[in-house]
Amino acid sequence: MKDKMMPPLAPLLLLASLAATTGLPLAAAELQLPGPGGSAVDFHGFISQGYLVSSDYNYLGESSHGSFKFTEAGLNASFNPFPHTRLAAQGFTYDVGPAGEYDVVLDYGIVEYTLNDWFGVRAGRLRRPEGLHNDTQDVDVARTWVLLPQGMYNARWRDFYVSVDGGEAFGTLPLHQAGSLSYELYYGIQRPRLNGGLALQKSNLPPFSQLVWINAPKLGGGQLWWNLPVDGLKLGVALNYDEDLTFRTVAGRQSKGSPFTRHYSLEYFRNAWTFQAEYLRFRIDYDETGGGPPPSKRLIEPDTWYLSAAYRIDKRFEVGGYYTEYYGNVHDRQGKLLPFPSDAAQKDTALALRFDATDQWIFKIELHRIRGTGQLLDTINNPVRRGGDWSMLAVKSTFSF
Amino acid sequence: MKSIFLKIGLAGAVLLAGVLQAAPITGAVVIANDGALDASIGAAALKDIYTGKTTYWRDGQSVTIAVLADKTDAALKEVSGMDASQFKTFWQRMVFSGRGQQPKKADDVAALVALVASTKGAIALVPADAVLKGVKVIEVK
Repeated sequence: MKDKMMPPLAPLLLLASLAATTGLPLAAAELQLPGPGGSAVDFHGFISQGYLVSSDYNYLGESSHGSFKFTEAGLNASFNPFPHTRLAAQGFTYDVGPAGEYDVVLDYGIVEYTLNDWFGVRAGRLRRPEGLHNDTQDVDVARTWVLLPQGMYNARWRDFYVSVDGGEAFGTLPLHQAGSLSYELYYGIQRPRLNGGLALQKSNLPPFSQLVWINAPKLGGGQLWWNLPVDGLKLGVALNYDEDLTFRTVAGRQSKGSPFTRHYSLEYFRNAWTFQAEYLRFRIDYDETGGGPPPSKRLIEPDTWYLSAAYRIDKRFEVGGYYTEYYGNVHDRQGKLLPFPSDAAQKDTALALRFDATDQWIFKIELHRIRGTGQLLDTINNPVRRGGDWSMLAVKSTFSF
Repeated sequence: MKSIFLKIGLAGAVLLAGVLQAAPITGAVVIANDGALDASIGAAALKDIYTGKTTYWRDGQSVTIAVLADKTDAALKEVSGMDASQFKTFWQRMVFSGRGQQPKKADDVAALVALVASTKGAIALVPADAVLKGVKVIEVK
């Protein structure tokens, strides 16, 4: 299916960019309305439109022909009705390749009570903390890059990975001369969708059997950050465990497994530099039953890492780059067990330029040089995968307030 | 003679204590809404506010950070450990992940002071030579 040449949100971004460059007044950065108890309600939001084109393969959409199916928009409201209490919610819509399709979802909706710096609780739909970027992976203004390292932050998986319905405890514990320890511990239910990226991926890989059911697995985990007594430096570890992720195909084949994820992070700000490094590994042992073939087991154990650096040149310009490697199976990094050995890994070198035209409008351009096809995850649209390098250009514009 | 040395020593000790206790921020002072309970704050506690670890004052009022672009960037770096761009990105991550509220922006010093004066729980860095009306100056220790 060919992409539309003018996606629905492009005119809005065009309007925003015209207003930004001609100085026409737009909505204020914040809209404050009187809220219950006299507290003001804060509104913020963003609209992003991107374009992807690749020299080979279809990645995150029909990128081999150029794809505008790369849109995100969010709108949130927040206020403090009582002491120590905050209510907040964010609606979100997106379209990345075949995933999303502009469905409007509740991205987060929380009631939060903060007893003190050490302890607070949130309940509702939470943006799940994991690593440096999971809870903001579709928020373009929150980083230098257009695309985060996809092996770690798969833009197609947000329905499965980003939010959880449940509760969490959070706080920061002082460690005196050793800095402080920030924590978030959560438990709840994930809500993967049948038209979401994870389900589509399963359908587009052998044996190409469409998913007809996917459950809402329980998920527990936590994120710890050690804020060292060195300005700008923090180290983190995140662990999470999904209980009985289960999906069923139209052929009646059921796969059931409990993924366990480990995720390590480092972030360091020094003057105008920002350095980040992360490593993630997860393991899932699937039990496969039904649908005719005998019961079987399947182990999936990928890992991925990246190093990045970004430099803020001045108020308008920021440049950066990252190198990342993804391996679909730590036990077969060379792809000897795969029909297409290039599927074993994907190594990506990215260079990005970010231009802050105004306080509210940004523009990014990014070039990727990629080796391997480990993240294509789509045999339907990429029937032949060869070794060798290929490239991708990503362009994106975001208006935020 | 002995008493002169004693007086010099005492004066030096007082001076040193003053330097150690009050660590002024480069080119800026901290102001808060007049309803603020405290007249002073530790440097570490101030950093906790600007890095989102402290979100409520001890009376339960939510902390509202007010910012002014450009004029206090050096002070912001000193207080938070982040330059202006990193600070903005940090708080955008907090807001769009549901973990915090965006600092409020003012266009000029007078507007910033007025914003702090009119907003319960507000705190801001202002240039040291700012005309301050209706706000409380907070000493940084």
